[in-house]
Formats: sequence, C-alpha cells, structure tokens
Amino acid sequence: MTLIKDKQIIDDPWCYLSDGHALKASHTIIDPDFWHQNKRSLSGASSPLGLMIPGDQELAELANDLTYFSLIAIHIPTFVDGRAYSLAKLLRERYHYKGEVRAVGDVLPDQAHYLTRVGFDALEFTDHPSASLALKKLSELSVCYQPG
Amino acid sequence: MYLYDQLDQTLINERVEQFRDQTNRYLSGKLTEEQFRPLRLMNGLYIQTHAPMLRVNIPYGLLSSKQLHALAHIAQHYDKGYGHFTTRQNIQFNWPKLEQVPDILAELASVQMHAIQSSGNCIRNITCDPLAGVCADEIEDPRPYCEIIRQWATLHPEFSYLPRKFKFAVSGSPKDRAATQVHDIGLHIKKNDAGQIGFEVLVGGGLGRTPVIGQTIADFIAEEDILSYAEAILRTYNRFGRRDNKYKARIKILVRETGLDKFTQQVNSEWQAIREGSLKLSQDEIQRVKRFFAPLAYQTIDNDNALIQDLGNSGSFRQWFIQNTLTHKQTGYQVVFVSLKSPHRAPGDINSEQMSGLAELADQYSFGQIRTTHDQNLALTDVRRADLYPLWQQLSKLDLATANIGTITDMICCPGLDFCSLANASSIDIAQGITDRFTHSAIDTGKISLKMSGCMNGCGHHSIGEIGILGVDKKGEQWYQLTLGGSDSHQSKLGDRLGKAIAKDAVVDAIDDIVQVYKANRVDNENFANTLQRIGLQPFKDKVYDAD
Ligand code: SF4
Repeated sequence: MTLIKDKQIIDDPWCYLSDGHALKASHTIIDPDFWHQNKRSLSGASSPLGLMIPGDQELAELANDLTYFSLIAIHIPTFVDGRAYSLAKLLRERYHYKGEVRAVGDVLPDQAHYLTRVGFDALEFTDHPSASLALKKLSELSVCYQPG
Repeated sequence: MYLYDQLDQTLINERVEQFRDQTNRYLSGKLTEEQFRPLRLMNGLYIQTHAPMLRVNIPYGLLSSKQLHALAHIAQHYDKGYGHFTTRQNIQFNWPKLEQVPDILAELASVQMHAIQSSGNCIRNITCDPLAGVCADEIEDPRPYCEIIRQWATLHPEFSYLPRKFKFAVSGSPKDRAATQVHDIGLHIKKNDAGQIGFEVLVGGGLGRTPVIGQTIADFIAEEDILSYAEAILRTYNRFGRRDNKYKARIKILVRETGLDKFTQQVNSEWQAIREGSLKLSQDEIQRVKRFFAPLAYQTIDNDNALIQDLGNSGSFRQWFIQNTLTHKQTGYQVVFVSLKSPHRAPGDINSEQMSGLAELADQYSFGQIRTTHDQNLALTDVRRADLYPLWQQLSKLDLATANIGTITDMICCPGLDFCSLANASSIDIAQGITDRFTHSAIDTGKISLKMSGCMNGCGHHSIGEIGILGVDKKGEQWYQLTLGGSDSHQSKLGDRLGKAIAKDAVVDAIDDIVQVYKANRVDNENFANTLQRIGLQPFKDKVYDAD
C-alpha cells in the first residue's frame, strides 16, 4: 500500500486491527463492531485510534464518538460506488470532523481529485505507480463550478 | 445564449486533456476495460455494435450557427458524414474512432461544447422546453435556470458515481413541453402569491424498464434555493439508492421502496442543514445568467401582407406553414420546426451538408440560433413571417421541410439493432416502413405521436407514445409489443398494452389497422387520444388481432 496524505506520498503510520496487529500498537484502525464492544476500555486509550466505516454507515450513530478518533477511513468496495463521497462531505461539513479522512479500497488514480474535493485528505493506493499518477491527477483540473 | 467565460473555457479545455490521457492509458493497456468504461461513459463515449458512439451535449437544446457548423465538420471529418439527434436534445456520432475522440472533444471545446456527463451514472444534460423564451404562455424563461443547474452539476465531485444515471428537465410554462414528469427530477417554474419565482419539484419519474410518472416532492422551492434543494435530493439518492441491481438503481425505485413521505423527510432534513450554505443563489448571480437570455432584437412589424400573399400562391408552402410552424409571442415572427423525419433518412439523422446549410439559414433568418427538440427535430424559433417563404424554399432544397410535424411520420425512434448493442430488435427499418405507408396520408390522419424503442430501456420513449412500439426478443427473433394511449403532455400517462407481441413483418399493417380504426371512429376533428378514450382499446384489438 502507498499512502497519499495532504497531497504527498508518505509512510503510513497506521495499521489495521483486522490485519492481526495487536491493539497495543499505536495508530490502530478498528471497525465499528469492535468499537461498540470495547468502547469503555478503548475510550481511555491514549494512543491515536482510527475507525474504518462502510459506505452505508449511518453517521448519526457515531456523532458522539467521533472525538475519540484521529482518523476515519471509509471503505470503498468498488470504485464505482460513490457513497463514500457523500459520507466524507457529511463528516467534514455536518459533523465538522477535523481528523484524517481516508479513502480505502478500490480507488482509481483518476478519482483522487474528486475525493480530495469532498473532504478526503488521505488516499490509499495499492502501489507506488498508482499513487504517483494520482498525485499528477490532483492538479489536472485547476478550476471548478461548485463552491466550497 | 450563454457564452463561456475564462472559467468555463479553462474547465472544458482541461477536461479534454484529462480525457486524452485516459484514452492513451487505455490504448496502451494501463487502464483495463473495466476501469476505462465508467471514465469514458462519463464523457459520452459508448462502445456500440460497430464502433464507439460519442454523444455530445447540447445544453437545454440551444445551438449557435457556429456550433452547428462545427458539428457538421466533425460529422464530415471524423464520422460518416452525418449525426443523429436524440430525445434528450443531444447529438450522437455513430462512427468515430476511439483514438480520435480526444481531438473531436478539442474541436468541440473550441466552440464551447463538450460531452461531459452525456452518459454514465451521473447528472446528465439538463433538458427544457424547446420553445423557451418564444412561447406566449411562459411564466419565466427556464434556460437561465438550466444553465445554473448545468454549471452546478458539471464535474460535480460528490455526484459522479451515482447508483445510476440522473436526468433533469425544466419547464417554464403551464403546458409542459419538456416531459418533466418522466425525469428523475422535473422542475416546473411557478410564481407564488408574492410574485417570487420558484419551482414545483417532481421526483422519481422515468421511462425504461419500469416507467414511472414523477411525484411532487415540493410545491414551491424558491429560485435561490434550487441548487441546495437539488443537492439534498442527490445526496439522499447517492447515499441510499440501490447499488445491488442496476435495474433497481434509479431514484424512482428508491422513492418507491422508501415511500414518498419518508423520502421527502430525508431530503428535507438534509436540505435544512445546507439551505443557508454556499449553494444559496444570489440575485446577482441569477441576473448575471439571465442577461445571456435577454429577448432578441426583434423588429416591430405591423403588416403581414407578404406572408398572406405567399400563402395564397403556394399550396405546398401553405401545408408546411400549417403543419411545421407556430405562432411566436412577438408579433410578426413565427417559430419554424425543421423536420428531421424526411422519407429519405432515419428519424433524427442529419448530414453535414444539411447541418451547414441550416446553420447558414439560421444566420440569415433566425438570429444565428438553432434549437433541438425532444421529438428529434430542430427549430428556428425567431423567423420573421415575411421571410417564411424564402426560408421554406431553401429548407426544401436541403430536404428539411417535410410537412409532417406532430403526425404519425414524425415519429421518435431510437437507433435500435442497427447501432445499439443492447437492442432486441431493429427500429429504423420499421420506421422506414411506417414512413413509406403513411407519407401521403399523414397530414390527413392528424396529430398522432408514435414512439419506438428497440428494447426495454426505452430510449425512444415508447411508453409515453400515443402509439408505442417496443422491440422484444423471442427466441432470437425480433417481435414488437404495441401500446396505445401514452402521453407526454402536461398529464403524462403510460400507454396500455394492446395485446401479444407482433411479428416484424406484420407491424406496419398493425399500425395501419390502428389508424384505420381511429379514422373510422373519430368524430369531427377529434384527436387520437380522445377517440381512444371514448371507444376503448377493444375495437383496436379486434382489428389488429382478428386481421391475423
Ligand atoms: S431503447 Fe434499447 S435499443 Fe434503443 S437505443 Fe436505447 S438501449 Fe438501444
């Protein structure tokens, strides 16, 4: 995996609990089930915590919990599934979420520009060439019609 | 008409280069077909039976003569010398080469045109009343609003990967000439008691496999709120629309499965949160766009003598005048429909020579503007009545003066099996058969809307034709399902099935039977719909099926 954060390729400090990493490790991304089951013990943790949500996540259910997370990853099962775009927009504008919002899953370099415009500041790509291409694609369109 | 400024031009120029890169990556194997597909579709490029097909947007059906010249050049240079106008006011080229498409787009960009979002699961070209700005019954010209919505929808970062395609239509008159009830969102301009301009908003209409008439979701949305309201609908649809089955992915299914009440609540709660945000339109912006559509510089004309004389002199001109022209709101002017349903070409087709010729006529007689209609015809909407005769003569030379607007030979027809890879059956040869049969009796038969699609997707709008023809596949053979009584007027209505499907070689006879029953039963000048309503389907069934 290669990560773009704030329009640069960087080493990813985060890991996924689902990959078998121990929770103790700092910067772990968990899923909503795990969060709900372990909320009490996790909410006191001092190391940064991330949450990966699916495209059909009801954000209202998480509204009060967002402060516990330094990162929200939205899973995109296939690149033609546009739900993540609305979720990111809502996270930023409705819930004023200031942490990292990361696109994870089937993401094309050609989509990097729109993804960043709706509020994603981090994009995961399968390999370095895709990520470098995505960086180039970020500056393809210099203007847009939509405000904000 | 709207003219691009620096921002508009930069955007489409950059989009051309973006697409050029995508095409090159595909051709060099760096993008898979699966990855390229949605990207090319979002830019109007299909892969069809024989070749790619490129659909070019004509925003709300308005073209300048310069743009029509450019389309003529593209048809000549990159295609087989002709183009095809669609029911959504766009034009399609059926034979471009994939590797040349970026060059075509660059040529289009040089005349302020593009193919952005003319297909794909995104917001498509906004359509409107072809008589916008020239009809007497208009509350307000819909075109400035179409342009405002077009800009908001173009390359929208959030709504480019919707569950399915999404179509808007806007009507500015009580008489709906934009088929707003069969669009994902239909907007009717109205004024409230305070004289404020706004829209009645319809949602969830559409043709295709499951034709549905749109329902009113809001009685009055003020003009300054129209973008935030549209955004609320789109966001609700993007989040909750079905993605598991493409036949259930249109917003009409979401509205049906959620229920209009609950759907309305979802939209309203979203809207309340964004209503006062950055999408709120200022009067400055509305007025800025409206200025592009200011009334044309009409002359004051107080005598009609020339026309009266011309009408007295030529019977064929008189026939064309009655059939193909309409009264203009400005005294001394007339709206002229340019029929693309000549017996010599497939419905909606036009060749390069005709395009260039028509562009010149537009410059000479109609302020250099041309409209496209959702009946696959064109219109010169601002012609002085005294100029009608010479215009008619020149249109005749171009084979663009077939006097058949609104008649049975002015049919709507999709490309069908000849071009479209989804088709079950051909439509162009059936159209030809109907044209041959009715060319001489069309005017006498009166106004009948005949619409034909080569498959359930319904690009030819068969379900709202007074006579609808749908191509179906029966064990590899082409059959046709007939429906009667559909309507796309203010009260849209879906046609009723006449009976079992009909074999290809019997379709024209069946249509003839239907017309005979109508003619035998009509009282005075009763139109087809009224006769059908009065006598019911049965006499038509009897005639069509007993004749077998
Ligand atoms: S109705 Fe069917 S056959 Fe005709 S153009 Fe549409 S998809 Fe193709």
